[in-house]
Amino acid sequence: MQTIAEFMSANHHACDEAFAVAEQAALANNWSEAETAFNNFRTELAKHFRMEEDELFPTLVSAGGPAGPVQVMRMEHAQMNTLIEQMAGTLTRQDAQGYGGLSETLLIVMQQHNLKEEQMLYPIADHFLASQREALLGHMRVE
Amino acid sequence: MKIISLNTEQAPPISVPLRFFTAAPLFLLLAALTLVSGADNPFADIHSPALLAATHCITLGFMAMIMLGAIQQILPVVIGSSMPASRLTSWLTFLPLLSGALLLPAGFLLGKPVLLDLAWPILGLAFITFISAGLISLARAPAHNATKTAILLSILALGGAIALGMLLAHGYATGSLLPYAKLATAHISLSLGGWVLLLIVGVSYQVVPMFQLTPNYPKWLGNGLAPAIFIVLLLILLSLLLEPMPHWVAIVVQGLFWLLAGCFAVATLWLQSKRRRRVADATLSFFRLGMMALLCAALLAFATLFFPENDRLGTVSAVLFLLGFAMSLMYGMLYKIVPFLVWFHLFRGGVKRGVPNMKEVIPETWMWRHLWLHRSTLLAALFAPWWNAAAWLVSLGLLLQGMLLGYALLIAIAVYRRTLVRIEEDLP
Repeated sequence: MQTIAEFMSANHHACDEAFAVAEQAALANNWSEAETAFNNFRTELAKHFRMEEDELFPTLVSAGGPAGPVQVMRMEHAQMNTLIEQMAGTLTRQDAQGYGGLSETLLIVMQQHNLKEEQMLYPIADHFLASQREALLGHMRVE
Repeated sequence: MKIISLNTEQAPPISVPLRFFTAAPLFLLLAALTLVSGADNPFADIHSPALLAATHCITLGFMAMIMLGAIQQILPVVIGSSMPASRLTSWLTFLPLLSGALLLPAGFLLGKPVLLDLAWPILGLAFITFISAGLISLARAPAHNATKTAILLSILALGGAIALGMLLAHGYATGSLLPYAKLATAHISLSLGGWVLLLIVGVSYQVVPMFQLTPNYPKWLGNGLAPAIFIVLLLILLSLLLEPMPHWVAIVVQGLFWLLAGCFAVATLWLQSKRRRRVADATLSFFRLGMMALLCAALLAFATLFFPENDRLGTVSAVLFLLGFAMSLMYGMLYKIVPFLVWFHLFRGGVKRGVPNMKEVIPETWMWRHLWLHRSTLLAALFAPWWNAAAWLVSLGLLLQGMLLGYALLIAIAVYRRTLVRIEEDLP
């Protein structure tokens, strides 16, 4: 059976893929493709955040999981959302340089966030939520 | 499962890593000046005092300075645990490393035993503080991954390298009778093959996929490479105890080491060729240059095993490892870490508008200029043992690189300070 770590890590990779497509199009000044790809990325990431904030995190904390790190993860989501809003602005202005700088920043924030989740938080979630894993994954899939 | 210590917000103050990073370029200037200090070409004789002094300017003053600063920053992210008492640890490593890295090369260059005898206990203090803090941090880490193993082995190798280095420096200072050649081989193997290579291997497992969205290193490689390198290093140390050492033993153990190092370079280049992020990036170019240099260093080292009488091939292999591999990777890392830290520490204050993004901290044009300057320096270094003019070009290259890197870091600090002042003025 798939673990929470496996499912959520695969989801991170899907977001990465969408991120890379959007960045490449924007830096090539290919704005119509960039917009489609960026919107796709934004939707994917928002969905991922909802899975965590509405399902995984509350379930983990109520099962006795660590609340502090969960709070930090939420804060980092907010940081990423701010960067994404700023990126949307550069897209409207067709400002490739601005987009490139912000996407470089977002990449590092996002990747080190993913690293902490994949290596620490998700394994903890698998440990605490072993009995409810099936149900939880089901809820997250319909988000 | 340990969860008590899981704390994902443990970044040390920005002054901690920046202190180390801004001191490092000064040692490139010193290395350059040291190389031109003598009348002869220092690269022609691997035992020349100028080459020994310049090498330690680079390994201690530049490389160790960056590595010690970066590790304090990176540990919380890659293994989920920070160094204990970050400010105190930082000062107790930075100040002695700075003074020791000035005294030791000065002792070599001027032939003053008193300087060497002053240097080794001071450097010992820096590294013992760092090693103890590093081991405590690793023991507390909630993560169990290949990076943690590699960093642990790297720190253990550093411990051995430093003990041998202290013994050698004390021996030179007092004129004691010691098997210098063998101790030096063990010291170099543990410091470059152990500490430097294993640390880069461990950090690469995380940052290569992270910066360019490449696939992860294969699991078997991730789990097996660092322990294999460490075991081969132990075999190299054991082989040094054989008297006389049969030549085939040297070929087998050193050949194995370079085979493993070469595998790491090939694997990294292969992963980077599969990257999903395909935009131009100076860090990526520095990393690729570094991996290609490591591969060439390995090939040349193989050649020296079969032509041991040719000293200069060995010098070129060492130059490729130090300047080509290790230094390129450090530049690549710095050009990502420093802009990120500036953004992170400004943004963390809760201010969202007017915080410069990463590409507004150090202009990319400077990074590309640095890459070209570094490539040219490396090219000159390949010919330096045979051609005096090339040795001068290496010195010039190092001098310019020190100035350029110093300038880039000062720009970053200026951007940080300027933005901070503006943010404070904007507050009601």
